Amino acid sequence: MTETPILSTHGLTGGYGDFQALFGIDLHLMHGEVISLIGANGAGKSTFLKSVFGLLPVARDMVRYEGDAVGGTPAHRMVQRGLAMVPEGRRLFVGMSVEENMRVAIDHARVSEAEGLWTREHLFELFPILKEKRRQPIEDLSGGQQQMVAIARALLCQPKVLLCDEISLGLAPKVIREIYAVLPEISAAGTSIVLVEQDVSLAREASNRLYCMLEGRITLTGKSEDISRDDIAAAYFGATNAVA
Amino acid sequence: MQWLDAIIQGVLLGGMYAQYALGMALMFGVMRIVNIAHGDLMILLSLIAVSLAGVLPLGNLGLVVVIVPIAVAAGWTLQKFILNRVVGADPLPSLIATFGLSIALQNLMLEIWSADTRSLPNSGIASASFQIGPIYVGLLPVIVLICALVLTIGLDAVLRFSRFGRGLRAAAADTEAAAMTGVDPKRIYATATAIAVGILGLAAIFAALRATVSPSDGPAQLIYAFEAVIIGGMGSIWGAFLGAMVLGIAQAIGLRIDPGLGILFGHLVFLAVLVLRPEGIMARKR
Amino acid sequence: MTTEIKHMRVQRQTNSSRIAMTLGVLVLIALVTMPWWASSGKIRWAIELSCYIAIAQMWNLLAGYAGLVSVGQQAFIGVAGYTLFVLAQNFGVNPFIAVPLALVAPAILAVPTYFLLRRLDGPYFAIGTWVVAEAVRLATSNIDYVNAGAGLTLRVMTQYTQHQREVGFVILCAILLLVTIGGSYWLLRSRHGLALTAMRDNPVAAASQGVNVGKLRFFIFVAAAVGTGFAGAIYYMAQLRITPGAGFDPFWASMAIFIVMVGGIGAIEGAIIGALIFFFADRLFGEYGTSYLIVLGVLTLVIALFARGGVWGLLQKLGDHPWFPVRRKLIVED
Repeated sequence: MTETPILSTHGLTGGYGDFQALFGIDLHLMHGEVISLIGANGAGKSTFLKSVFGLLPVARDMVRYEGDAVGGTPAHRMVQRGLAMVPEGRRLFVGMSVEENMRVAIDHARVSEAEGLWTREHLFELFPILKEKRRQPIEDLSGGQQQMVAIARALLCQPKVLLCDEISLGLAPKVIREIYAVLPEISAAGTSIVLVEQDVSLAREASNRLYCMLEGRITLTGKSEDISRDDIAAAYFGATNAVA
Repeated sequence: MQWLDAIIQGVLLGGMYAQYALGMALMFGVMRIVNIAHGDLMILLSLIAVSLAGVLPLGNLGLVVVIVPIAVAAGWTLQKFILNRVVGADPLPSLIATFGLSIALQNLMLEIWSADTRSLPNSGIASASFQIGPIYVGLLPVIVLICALVLTIGLDAVLRFSRFGRGLRAAAADTEAAAMTGVDPKRIYATATAIAVGILGLAAIFAALRATVSPSDGPAQLIYAFEAVIIGGMGSIWGAFLGAMVLGIAQAIGLRIDPGLGILFGHLVFLAVLVLRPEGIMARKR
Repeated sequence: MTTEIKHMRVQRQTNSSRIAMTLGVLVLIALVTMPWWASSGKIRWAIELSCYIAIAQMWNLLAGYAGLVSVGQQAFIGVAGYTLFVLAQNFGVNPFIAVPLALVAPAILAVPTYFLLRRLDGPYFAIGTWVVAEAVRLATSNIDYVNAGAGLTLRVMTQYTQHQREVGFVILCAILLLVTIGGSYWLLRSRHGLALTAMRDNPVAAASQGVNVGKLRFFIFVAAAVGTGFAGAIYYMAQLRITPGAGFDPFWASMAIFIVMVGGIGAIEGAIIGALIFFFADRLFGEYGTSYLIVLGVLTLVIALFARGGVWGLLQKLGDHPWFPVRRKLIVED
């Protein structure tokens, strides 16, 4: 590797208290790439993202960002460094409007809205429906619209790396297409992306490279276009469990 | 006319209760932190004020300038070292921790100040009154009410429109998601508690001016603060103010009916609200 | 590969519990015979300690198992005490018989209180119970029939000799301990006990498994009220005097919280340990004023922050030796 990955993990282990969920994950993301992390429910994908983002305790050297060892840094400081997350289940701030949700991110972003890549206007162009509903409480929005707010909120942190945790979950196919259509634009603007997904075809189409996880370990990795469906099936479900 | 007088006295009493309740609205209403020591902290600040007044030539304004920063520091320390460890979905640890603190504080105050009641020398402001029509209205209670109103407007504005307010509401809505958005939940909570106790510092001086204070008065103020916040509706600063008004008026009316019934009437109104509209007066739709 | 299980049994008692049970029986025997070997002062101690243990057990059942944090149990203490005094003084009922009769009062108070507060969770419920207790206290101080703020005196007790009174008291205390500790233990070991533990850990999951959370909580609330009232009636009967300020003193709630949290919440053993700690702290340091309460307050704070399982929780870390085992162990024998 001649260039330093913008984000990488090295033998990442961890879990919840006594319960170990991750067993030595090695993964890297180069600047400008979109990588996807696929796996079934319970494989450890969300746990992995949380561990990278400082929401779960990990050793310092297990996570590197722009070359620095940052494992275990609290989430809000990771945002200052340049990461942002679209969390599983959206987790928007209930009781606040669309615009207020976005402004929290602006208030605490790495750089100011004026200097950064992402402005409210830019995001309203990306997601026109949000402009229309900007003053409404987020409880009034549909699932797909809420997902757009969650992505907008994360982008307004002005991240260099965007972590997306199952952004298609619970959404109708049409809505999923709308949301995934936006990803290339985000990537083109210079933001590197880690996409965690259960849906394999979505993940393959949207990413340059993919990793597959099973029971806390990486079972497959390679260029998205090069990996066969059979390889993925074996890695996703486990060779002994795959249906022949 | 008797009843009008009762209502006016109730509103003025409500002004004092509102000052107790504002800090509680921030801590319990917004952050969902139960601070059993809320009332005791206020009494502690009152007693410190009284002792300082006896030693230093500070006027009332001077006391405010000294006590409020002490209160702010106390609130910040309380959150940073104690409450931040017990913030979470389960309310029991914060309830028990602050309960222990409350007992320790009350008895510490008893040791230091003994059970005597004290008050601030007030050069007549506590007894000054003026007339509106046929009704006499105390000057100090009116000042208390006006301060309460100003604080309510200010605090509400801060929560609604400021960077800090947005961050606090976000952290209270979903602490982890707020952290993911760049908010430092521990620091923002510490600032909020500092503000809440800072307000108590001001209330402490008024309390010592208008009546006597003694080390075991804490729980009574605590219960009024909780009642006001719950009657008014969680999460709403104006709710706390209105709840305090309702409580004050209920107590004043009870007092008119029978001198022993004032506080009981307030409790009955509170219980009625719990049964009929538990989300409070200013509840937002869910 | 399957293993054939030839013979298996469920073990419920452990060595530690067998020892504890034996000691418990000995303690009860000692208690009941106290009028014949102990001084009056020590008997007073025994009565107070029994009451503390009983009140703590009931609070533990409420908070540690039913998930109901009550800061208003003093309402039931006062109500039972007052009812006892009224029955004995005003209606001439034999005071020792009046004790069980007086328990109707806390039960009657508990029912509407529960329905008033049941939809509230966590801190709201706690504050609600506190306000109810305060309301009852204030109401009592205004009712002339019970002498308002001046309180009542149990003059009828003078018809008994000191010895007779003491015998009556120790028997009542023994029954109190059997009912509260034994009752809790029986409840926890029954299928309701499993439901309670499930409810404590996760009420939604428990409900999904068929546990009628509402009914069980109601039952526990009323039972705890009666148990607490029982202790209150005995306590004030021994004091011979009750006033609204004493019978409905919020300090009862404080004491229950100390004892259970410092001793160890969610465990019968914890409530007993906590009561002993509190009782002896009070006897040893009470004479120096209330400063020992500062220490107890700080202790409660420290426990809530760093050792939520209390003293019993810390002891459990050294070894699992329950006195009142509620778990079942599957023993497979060949």
